[in-house]
Amino acid sequence: MAIRTQREIRQRAPLWLTGLLVLNVALMAFSAHQGGEKTGPLVAQAWAQALFAPVQSALTGAGGTGVGFFQHLANLNHAATENEQLKRQLADAQTELHNARAVADENERLKRLLAFKDEGAYKSLPARVIARDPSEWWNTVLVNVGSASGVELNMPVVTPDGIVGRVIGVSPWTAQVLLLTDERAAAGGVVGQLGQSQALGAVRGLGRNGLLEMRYVSGLEPVKLGDYVLTTGQDGIYPPGLNVGEVVEFKEGSATQPHDIKVKPSARLNALEEVAVLLYHPPPRTAPTETLPNMRKQ
Amino acid sequence: MKLKIGVCVALAVLLQTTLRHYWQGLVYVDLPLVVVTYFALRRDVVLALVVGCVTGLATDAFSGGLLGAHGFSKTLISYLIAALVTRVMLDNPLARIPVIAGAAALDATLYVLLHQIFRQPVLRPFVETVTYKVIATTVVGTFLFYLLDIFFSDRARTRRQFAFRRRAARRSLARR
Repeated sequence: MAIRTQREIRQRAPLWLTGLLVLNVALMAFSAHQGGEKTGPLVAQAWAQALFAPVQSALTGAGGTGVGFFQHLANLNHAATENEQLKRQLADAQTELHNARAVADENERLKRLLAFKDEGAYKSLPARVIARDPSEWWNTVLVNVGSASGVELNMPVVTPDGIVGRVIGVSPWTAQVLLLTDERAAAGGVVGQLGQSQALGAVRGLGRNGLLEMRYVSGLEPVKLGDYVLTTGQDGIYPPGLNVGEVVEFKEGSATQPHDIKVKPSARLNALEEVAVLLYHPPPRTAPTETLPNMRKQ
Repeated sequence: MKLKIGVCVALAVLLQTTLRHYWQGLVYVDLPLVVVTYFALRRDVVLALVVGCVTGLATDAFSGGLLGAHGFSKTLISYLIAALVTRVMLDNPLARIPVIAGAAALDATLYVLLHQIFRQPVLRPFVETVTYKVIATTVVGTFLFYLLDIFFSDRARTRRQFAFRRRAARRSLARR
């Protein structure tokens, strides 16, 4: 093996730097081009996620167990006056209780998902969240179902409490979900019941505080704190009638100004464990007429 | 040694995708950047560049942003730190603190700029997010450097080599 001097290594460093930077710029250009098309599959990222998915699943499961274990140790440390035998018995009992509660909570969540799946008008695929976005600028999660299970781009993701987001990247075994609280996410919403209320608008993520913003709601429509927001189905992603959230901040508009509405999502987006991917395809839109009546030349 | 570095990088990226699940505030701790900065301070420029690029791309793979953005910023940061360390003595633990802080600020700035260039604007408040990231990454990174020193420092390597020689000498004595 050739032994290189420090000087030779330093001389090669700019070449390495240039090569790696060019590679990254090419990847960014490719990624930006894909992202420009609404149905771009984010191929490279999807396959990288698929490769890491088994390790990620194991790490997520181990992390939950580890946190619970250390919490029990902290509790035991506060009980300094108890004797050793009671401490051990208490530790065993608490560990068993924690495990039983975790199993019960998971059971309850899965039961609700199953009930939701059975009662819903759409076929759904249960999934588990195995990773969250490592970057502080975005809000996405990775779930453990992919194209092999029938997941496709732009499919909605929900929990029994409400909508979570939509699928933006798919590999055979994983899918990347853009959460509703991300600034790039949006959904068509209505305050109240569809068909009864005219308070239609667009719900968008704010990227902070975990709240959503509902825009373009006419200032003449009645809205009040505590009203529920549902999906309209007009965005071509979410089916109509799904729960989005609750109005928590409201500044009244006028005839010329829309309302300023902040919505708290019904789904617990910061503590997602199990979700369901709706195998929903929006109804095809009719093609616009090629010529408008007024466009005919005399 | 390269296997240990690979495991360290993989663990940092995988932990980064998991910590946010337990507390949202932990997203501001950039573990991959801490690992990149550590290896950039070891005076091996090419190793630093490769670690920076691979770590950045691995982070991008799980992120919702552009693939290659973290790779670009972390590669450039690792090169700048590796170039700086050949001119300035940064072995002192106190001297590493401003290096981590500067790396965190530069990483965030480059990341946002690259997304602006490729017309994928980041809409989060820039100053607030960068401030939180710099503080959290610097605090955690300072402690993490001590942990990484246990496995990767030259003194640790010498200690392991001497421990091996001591064990071999004891075995040969025992056989006699």
